Amino acid sequence: MIELHRVSKVYEVGPVKVPALTDVSFRVAKGEFVVLTGPSGAGKTTLLRLLYREEVPTEGEVEVLGSALSTLTRSEVSALRRSIGVVFQDARLLPGRTVYENIAFVLRVTGTPRREITARAFEALRAVGLSARAQAYPGQLSQGEAQRAALARAIARRQALLIADEPTGNLDEAMAAEVLGVIRDIWAGGTTVVLATHQSRLAAGMRRRTLVLEAGRLVKDEG
Amino acid sequence: MLAFLLGEALRDLRRAGRVAVSAIVLIMLSLVALGGFWLLSFNLGRAVADWRERVRIIVYLRREPPPGEVAPLVQRVTALPDVASARYVSKAEALASLKRVLGKDAAVADQLPANPLPATIEVTPSAAGATPEGARALITRLGTLPEVEEVAGGVEWIERLADWQRLLAVIGLGLGAALALAAMLTVTTSTTLVLHQRREETEIMRLVGAPEAAVRLPLLLQGMIQGLVGAALALLALLAVHRLTAPRLEPLLTLTLGLPRLAFLTPLSVLVLLASGAGLGAVGGWLARGKGGLA
Repeated sequence: MIELHRVSKVYEVGPVKVPALTDVSFRVAKGEFVVLTGPSGAGKTTLLRLLYREEVPTEGEVEVLGSALSTLTRSEVSALRRSIGVVFQDARLLPGRTVYENIAFVLRVTGTPRREITARAFEALRAVGLSARAQAYPGQLSQGEAQRAALARAIARRQALLIADEPTGNLDEAMAAEVLGVIRDIWAGGTTVVLATHQSRLAAGMRRRTLVLEAGRLVKDEG
Repeated sequence: MLAFLLGEALRDLRRAGRVAVSAIVLIMLSLVALGGFWLLSFNLGRAVADWRERVRIIVYLRREPPPGEVAPLVQRVTALPDVASARYVSKAEALASLKRVLGKDAAVADQLPANPLPATIEVTPSAAGATPEGARALITRLGTLPEVEEVAGGVEWIERLADWQRLLAVIGLGLGAALALAAMLTVTTSTTLVLHQRREETEIMRLVGAPEAAVRLPLLLQGMIQGLVGAALALLALLAVHRLTAPRLEPLLTLTLGLPRLAFLTPLSVLVLLASGAGLGAVGGWLARGKGGLA
């Protein structure tokens, strides 16, 4: 499902070179739930961005869903992303559209047949327990609800892989547990999940395979 | 998908608000200028073409040739360079023609002791002979024939008319182009504004793997819609001005240019103007794509 071979990433800020990842290798099998953890600035977000080809590695190779990402054309990158759901710390919902419209918008622009959109959107909303808030605007949602709406948007296309970048970072404990519960349900439905969090207590509580990053290096792979 | 993209483009237009309206107005003004001068040039062109077809050089003969000499003389004239055709007009035919022109006063011609009109040959020059230089050369050649008393005719004034027509077309194109540039830049501004407003949407679209067409087409469509609306308004304005002024101008034009009717633009010209508007808008939208950092 995911394979990283000796991946390094260096950002160049003018003449200064800032290493974000150094010589990282690991594999994730289909159906796994992997927690990526480490302190802020450890390289978690960079690693996730490499998985959906928002970044390209300076060295090494990233393979996702059977594709070596360095060789993909622009349209192939788009096709890859249609198979991946991504959730961020800030839900990034479009403020001028309702929860339902946010999901329908993504389905429309990725070519879902019109007749299937409503059914798929409500199926996703049911999965995250948000059917009753379909007509609410993002500004009317709690942070937990907004994050669940973002999850619904990410899974509405029934992707094989869900990447979640600090999805509980802005949430209190109760809301975080609620969102993690939803992600667990999504994983139980057969979706491979890679979740990044800097909250080590939360990572430990997940009792899943955990990859620990420190200063851009993979220092632990356990569970 | 197209309906969705069109819907997004219309949504973007509403977001652009006044800037989009300014772009439409500027496109309308540029096409009104272009179309207006085109209309004038087109009608002047019709007059020029009409007058070119009517160009005749009249060869006055010293004496009326005997019937047996008419055909060889006409043949000799026709054989000259830059002559399309030649027709012999006898003294009697000329008088009959004069009587037709005089109408109810034709009896005046009957009072004449003898037919004073000379026999003539009406020469229709070829296209090369209908230019000022060609006509002058042809008149000189015709004047060297021994049977010829005098040669009358000229095309300079038609050429002056044609020069005016070309000048109008150039002014129209120049003014239209300057306004079109302004319109294009306004479309670019309005589209860039929308791009900034919808940056979040664009980012989400890219992240979820929307095809490039889904990201870029609404921008092009938005520009095209502005262009088409501007062009349609320009055509309506031109049509209204034409309807209002044509009946007042036509008597004057008939008298001065021999043009009985002030024609409106042909269907092809209308299509060209609409396409120009859509093209202007599309280019503006496309330029915004680069400015907005989408590329």
